[in-house]
Amino acid sequence: MRRYRKTAFLFLAPFLVVFLAFYLAPVCYALYLSLFVRKRIGIGPPKEVFGGLANYIRAVQDTDFLNGLKNMFVFGVVQVPIMLGLAILLALLLHQSRGFFMKVCRTAFFMPYGIPTAIGAMVWGYLYSANLSPFNQILRALHEGTIDFLSPAIVLFSIANIVTWTWTGYNMITLFAALQNIPQDLYEAARVDGAKTWDIVRRIQIPLLLPTLKILFIFSVIGTSQLFTEAFVLRPLGYLADNITPNLYLYLTAARDANYSYAGALAILLALLIFVISGPFLRRVASR
Amino acid sequence: MSSKPVSVKSVASASSGRSEASPAVGLPIIPGRKSTVSSATVGRYMVLTAFLFYCVLPAAWIIAAMTKDNGQIFTTFGLWFSYPFHVFENLSGLVTYQDWIFVRWFGNSLIYAGSISFGSTLICALGGYAFSKYEFPGKQFLFNFILGTIMVPSTALVLPLFLMLNKIGLVNTMWGVILPSLVNPFGLYLMKVFWDSSLPNELIEASRLEGANELQIFWRIGIPLMQTGLVTVALLGFVGAWNNFFLPLIVLSEQKLYPLTLGLNVWNSVSSGAGGKPIYNLIAMGSLVSVLPLLIAFVVLGKYWRGGLTAGATKG
Repeated sequence: MRRYRKTAFLFLAPFLVVFLAFYLAPVCYALYLSLFVRKRIGIGPPKEVFGGLANYIRAVQDTDFLNGLKNMFVFGVVQVPIMLGLAILLALLLHQSRGFFMKVCRTAFFMPYGIPTAIGAMVWGYLYSANLSPFNQILRALHEGTIDFLSPAIVLFSIANIVTWTWTGYNMITLFAALQNIPQDLYEAARVDGAKTWDIVRRIQIPLLLPTLKILFIFSVIGTSQLFTEAFVLRPLGYLADNITPNLYLYLTAARDANYSYAGALAILLALLIFVISGPFLRRVASR
Repeated sequence: MSSKPVSVKSVASASSGRSEASPAVGLPIIPGRKSTVSSATVGRYMVLTAFLFYCVLPAAWIIAAMTKDNGQIFTTFGLWFSYPFHVFENLSGLVTYQDWIFVRWFGNSLIYAGSISFGSTLICALGGYAFSKYEFPGKQFLFNFILGTIMVPSTALVLPLFLMLNKIGLVNTMWGVILPSLVNPFGLYLMKVFWDSSLPNELIEASRLEGANELQIFWRIGIPLMQTGLVTVALLGFVGAWNNFFLPLIVLSEQKLYPLTLGLNVWNSVSSGAGGKPIYNLIAMGSLVSVLPLLIAFVVLGKYWRGGLTAGATKG
């Protein structure tokens, strides 16, 4: 309807204004900045000069950045499947449960998601920390050695645990909602055919959960690529490498080293990587 | 058996309504195999209970720490209370520490979350209406494009955003946190979905024939039908803003402007750093107070919360 075009635009205008100003403009600005490099010419402070793709060439050879990406990859293939597997298991179990206990579980499982990441990570930090950890208090009482949860070898798992704690419930609630949407006739038909519980899980529930699961997988991968707060909050409590996640490295490059052009290039590379990984998935999901 | 169709939005109420009314719903219990069923039930309860403990573990530490003074936090078992309780000392210590700064952070968080929630809900309601009720060239592309930006990592945005805000003088101001947070692509998506299902197009047509203009239709007829959608997006906006950490971390340098998340993190750094005075008892108390508004919202408005989040993944 042609005559409402102007009205439509007016309704859309407030969103578009803030979107352009605070979303698109920064991305374009980051793109622009990333083409400059800082150079020291003669004596005096370094200057920003046009460097073409120099920052990008540096980034793909930057072992710190690559190490962050590697950690992100490990997260994607270890933490995400564990978390989603746990979420499926809990959703299926909760779907079979009734009454008060089920409601308590549903609320409690979902609660970590509502707690600010910074606060959740901080408290987990105390559960990990050398002089506060109750786990180590128990181990000490049993005269076993203590575990340094924040040591370089383990800290990635400690962060993975915080992420799992935060997000399993969210994923579970979503899968649970999808389970509720499965028509009852399907269960009844299966029961008439003599299907056992496991058959129903394998042949009906899991296949029907698959589309939701795909979206959750993509959300999780995107979330993994943005990992920052957990690592940042744990830093004062133990030794955490600057390059443990790409985002922390990016933040330090900008905020501590004030190298905005290089940070811009890293940010754009990271965004591109996410697009490449999740784009095909999303398109397939959107077209279903 | 309740025959109410289960839409995503009503999942919470539907499931609780069903639970007692219809034991037949869900997986079949196979008759004549009681012993295997009950052992499966025991296993189920064990797994659920174990995960329940895992979820409340940090909360247990906070609640135990709340009863202790700072010395006891180091010397007593972390997951159990200490008697006599130091709850009230900790509470008054929290409030008065460093010239009532915690109260100020709490107020700041309320200002940030309140204004961001209100503003972004309004903007998304308007924008979602345009996408739901009008046709215009490039509509589908624009919608997909806006949704696609959810994938851009926040650091990619926030760092250049900081430089831009610096140029227009919004760094280290409340506006520097509020204005960028008004952009909420997911809220726009939710609003479109809610408009699709809440306001029938026939009603719009009828109102037009009655002589109502487009804004009147939106405001007088549409908005009253959108309660669920508005509450959901406003709640998600509030929680998102209350929990935000990265944007204020970059934009704000003055502690007086900090929200709670950032403020507590400063205390954490000072307590854990070399030479700092540890105040873990106050941090524990402060963490509890910080999540209290969320817990209340969670219990009172839980179904909107769950409904809004699950709508994103279950509605294609």
